Amino acid sequence: MAMRIPPLLEPYLRLPPESSLIVLTHVLGASTNWLVQRYLCSLLGNPGRGVANENDQHATADKECSVVLVSFMRDYGFWKEGAGRLGLDLDALSQKRRFSFVDGLSQLFTGASGDGSRAKSRDASGQRVLQSSTLQDLRSVVSQALAERTTRDVVLILDNPDLLLSAAGSEMTAQAVRETLLDLRETVSSTIVTLAVDEPLVSAQTTSLEKEQASLVLSLAHEAELLLSLRLLDTGTARDVSGVLRVTHGGASTGLASEERELLYFVGGDGGTRVFERGQ
Amino acid sequence: MSFRKRNTVINTSATATATQTKPENVSAPGVRPSPHDGRSTTSTGTASLDSLLAGHSGLPLGTSLLVEEHGTTDFAGVLLRYCAAEGLVQGHQVHMLGMHEGWRAELPGVSTDSKTSSKSETSASDKMKIAWRYESLGSVGAPRDTPQKSINASSGSGTFCHSFDLTKRLSPVDVKGQIGFHPTMSMPSLTRQPQGLSSSPFKVFLGDIAVKLANAPPSGVHRVLVPNLLSPTLYSSSACRPEEVLQFLHGLRALLRQYPSKLVALITLPLSLYPRTSGLTRWMEHLCDGVLELIPLQLDPVHAPPPDAKSESKSEEKTQGLLKVHSLPIYHEKGGGGTEGHTGEDMAFSLSRSRGLIIKPFVLPPMLEDEEKEKNPASTTSSIDF
Repeated sequence: MAMRIPPLLEPYLRLPPESSLIVLTHVLGASTNWLVQRYLCSLLGNPGRGVANENDQHATADKECSVVLVSFMRDYGFWKEGAGRLGLDLDALSQKRRFSFVDGLSQLFTGASGDGSRAKSRDASGQRVLQSSTLQDLRSVVSQALAERTTRDVVLILDNPDLLLSAAGSEMTAQAVRETLLDLRETVSSTIVTLAVDEPLVSAQTTSLEKEQASLVLSLAHEAELLLSLRLLDTGTARDVSGVLRVTHGGASTGLASEERELLYFVGGDGGTRVFERGQ
Repeated sequence: MSFRKRNTVINTSATATATQTKPENVSAPGVRPSPHDGRSTTSTGTASLDSLLAGHSGLPLGTSLLVEEHGTTDFAGVLLRYCAAEGLVQGHQVHMLGMHEGWRAELPGVSTDSKTSSKSETSASDKMKIAWRYESLGSVGAPRDTPQKSINASSGSGTFCHSFDLTKRLSPVDVKGQIGFHPTMSMPSLTRQPQGLSSSPFKVFLGDIAVKLANAPPSGVHRVLVPNLLSPTLYSSSACRPEEVLQFLHGLRALLRQYPSKLVALITLPLSLYPRTSGLTRWMEHLCDGVLELIPLQLDPVHAPPPDAKSESKSEEKTQGLLKVHSLPIYHEKGGGGTEGHTGEDMAFSLSRSRGLIIKPFVLPPMLEDEEKEKNPASTTSSIDF
């Protein structure tokens, strides 16, 4: 367990406080995938194992939560493989109704033109598929997925909802995406969102695409409890460091992050991750 | 244990390619398991590019590569032609977006000339036949400018990456695969009715590929090649709206994930029209698995290393540009780290007649003696003054 979840990150990867929003940001070359996988592992893994003696059976059962993962950039196979490396069987968890996946990749823009046989709201493994790039569809599909969860605490993870904003066209606004997110947040205990914050996307703000992206990122950062930002090393690349992880208070912080800090991380070829302070 | 397992894989793949009986992925021509993690890879047609791809020694199936290029040169187009030629020689299906039938005549031909130094190379490749999985591992520390001769078997059926000759043209004898052209701008005709929403060239193209992939036999490999994405000579202004191209790339990504053992994609993008500082380009980069940036240099004496006349006076050894690696397939999706990946050193490329684009670490050449002599007087006078 300690190997799978880096000790320095453990306080942030726990079940977030009620109605909180956690924003994970990434840039090209420093993806948040490993961090989302660690979140899945921390939220869905057996919570009693690490602190077995302190909690009785009732408390551990109470701590169980379920996760709904909406991914716009990656397919289920990727998450399944990544979680499998951490000892998490997503198939079994979805049968136990503790995990469900909403596929925002495979038919988001091609579903409408596909023929009837291909267009299915659920694929073979029972995962939901988003078939149109409208917010109504997103809202209804995610709500259905949320309704099936049995535990009290449900964590919603949205992987790159900003893609929807950028690719769906001019009728989609950051305001609308944020409102939809707010509606969805009302029904879950906490939400984790990954966003792209590359410099061209948020700093220039000349085209409407950049403006909308910056607007979404900034407003979500203000609503967030905690920000985990990944970026590449400022000084170039190194063999034993993949990038920098910066922990910051969000605009609506309640004190989950006691201090702001910068850590280095390294993702090995086998998927194992090390997080360490500078100079360690 | 692990050695034994690898050995069996070699045997099965060798026999399968020879007999063409097993309908497995491994048996598809031009496909081999990655020495890094065993996933199926196929060659881009450029050996030095294959060796750059994060230890996989090839482009992993189900991934895409975006090659961006500054300026008006067409080095990325060379990569694309080699990829198309390699696909055709291996018997893959090639899908071209935006080019017309005449592009086929520009493909380089399979190199047949045997050099004087080929004796040592073949003996080396015979050794590699025994342990070809380690061949790229061995070349990680070594300079990358020597292209890997992958299993250069005498039969030729097991060749992973052919060598092409830019001066020749691909002869129809070597072509085993099929190439399909999907023009993006049709001639304006009054007879054909516009097809409503699906008249966007991107959507038509994706639909065509999806149908072909669904109906194709399970072992075939398909290559999607998109040259000069969004270039105004190929795409009408309506196709250049951000949502059009982002939806196309997202749809292509979906197809790649849907057929992870069948499809690869190579896309080139003119950076002078769509600079990397724009948000649109960055989203396109996010939607592709690997991103390379080519920066051609002006061939003036400031940048180009001086021709080393003594050792090798080949003009093809000149550095013609710099190459930046922004992300690599699989490697950066996992998080980016490990010994297999890009080491962060500056890469340079040069175009060679016989070996295509050669990507190698960029090194400043040693200063020549006459240059030192030119500089020495100044230094000696200063030292005298001191």
